[in-house]
Amino acid sequence: MALDRHDTHLVRSRPAMNTADAMGRWQESTSDLAERSAYKKVWDRQAKELDVAMLAVAGRAGEAMDEDTLSLQAKESIDTLRSTVGIGPHDVILEIGCGIARVGKPLSGQCLHWFGADISGRMLSHAARRLEGRPNTTLVELATVGLQEFPGDAFDLVYCTIVFMHLFEWDRYRYVEEAFRVLRPGGHAYFDNFPLDTQHGWQVFKESAGYPLGRRPAHLSMSSTREELRTYLAKAGFEDVRVHDLPSGLIAATGQKPAGVP
Amino acid sequence: MSRDSEDSGDQVAALEAELDGMRRREASFRSRMVQEFLDRGERNTYLRTLHEERAALAGRAEEAPGDMKLLVGKLDAERERAAALQTQIAGITGSWAWRIGAPIRALGGLFARAPAPATIARLMEQAPAEGGIFTYYLHTSPFRIFRGAAFTLRGWVLPQDGSAVTGVRVNLGGRLFVGRVGLDEPEVIARHGPQAKNPSPGFEVAFETPPGRHMLSLEANLEGTEWRSIVTTPIWCVPAPR
Repeated sequence: MALDRHDTHLVRSRPAMNTADAMGRWQESTSDLAERSAYKKVWDRQAKELDVAMLAVAGRAGEAMDEDTLSLQAKESIDTLRSTVGIGPHDVILEIGCGIARVGKPLSGQCLHWFGADISGRMLSHAARRLEGRPNTTLVELATVGLQEFPGDAFDLVYCTIVFMHLFEWDRYRYVEEAFRVLRPGGHAYFDNFPLDTQHGWQVFKESAGYPLGRRPAHLSMSSTREELRTYLAKAGFEDVRVHDLPSGLIAATGQKPAGVP
Repeated sequence: MSRDSEDSGDQVAALEAELDGMRRREASFRSRMVQEFLDRGERNTYLRTLHEERAALAGRAEEAPGDMKLLVGKLDAERERAAALQTQIAGITGSWAWRIGAPIRALGGLFARAPAPATIARLMEQAPAEGGIFTYYLHTSPFRIFRGAAFTLRGWVLPQDGSAVTGVRVNLGGRLFVGRVGLDEPEVIARHGPQAKNPSPGFEVAFETPPGRHMLSLEANLEGTEWRSIVTTPIWCVPAPR
């Protein structure tokens, strides 16, 4: 369902949290690995409080995270989108897994309309508050994995950043397939994840491997290979499929929906 | 020659501007299409909710005669029990032993201790709030037999003096269940006009319904200062059918 911005008054404000408190709350909010597929439950739990949600989606919270830091992170993502798939002032854009609208908030100033979709309604309530006063933004809570809430052939760009590491492979492909459906012919798609063969990727992998066997959380980051992402996009029907090595240590796959495909 | 190139340059610029405008209109159309698709999805969801509520109401209507029969049976049993107790009391107060002990009971009353203040304070805290004057409507009626383990009251409320409703709760025999306020009720606003302090007068509050008879008081917090009862009613809760 679409979340109206006037629902934001239901979100209760809390005093700012310091990093240590946020980290503690985050640990408490994590779900068991066996629940990884229950994405709505897992991410709603992590989005009860804005600081915990920030920690979950941006890796920082409390005094280490403010709007300036978020903007800086978002700028990097937007620059990457601009250099890989391009962004135009008339673009209608959809972000899959938008979280607290870290990227969407600044990006909405550079396109015609920005749609943010997320499976966690609680994440979207934080996003709604951050997007107040931006009429060219719409937030949509996804009922389940997929983009069934959206019509086909609608968007110029569909992107999904810092999300795939939290999904199972089958669900990653589901979103690629769905992105193909909702893109207009000629529209572009972008998906990223961390690979094992970069310094950053290996560091994430080693940290995840450090969890005790019985205490692995549901959101534990899992890598992608270049071949995996390339295969998803090719199988979904994209053309001009490319895999990019990003300065951040992530890899990104991009593709274009063929112009003749309705 | 240069005049020609200037003209063609102007033409190119004009065509580019036209193309840009067309792209913008086409993108706007697609954006509106997505919005309308989302709206339609929401309307379908709302319609389904209405159908479910109608089916639930029909089910409750079917249960009502059975509930009434059960209540009449309980009432008859309570009447019989009251009559038996009256007879028993009359027998006791009419006895010689009761009359002889009357002076001793009177003396005992003089020396009896007052109840502990803490106990009184605690009871006072949990006692139903005093009534206020409200215009309200309950989407889910409390005037029923409660068969489940919990129930959610939904509705809207407007204090007649225009003060802000800052909270809502149910006081069920002294147990407090806090709900949430500020839910949209566009039809109410359309009918009663804009409400400066209560632009979204809807509320909902969930509470447990343990078997037995309880006093239910639905209460609103006004301006964040005082609680006032909207409606008070006794309710019957029976174990859920297996």
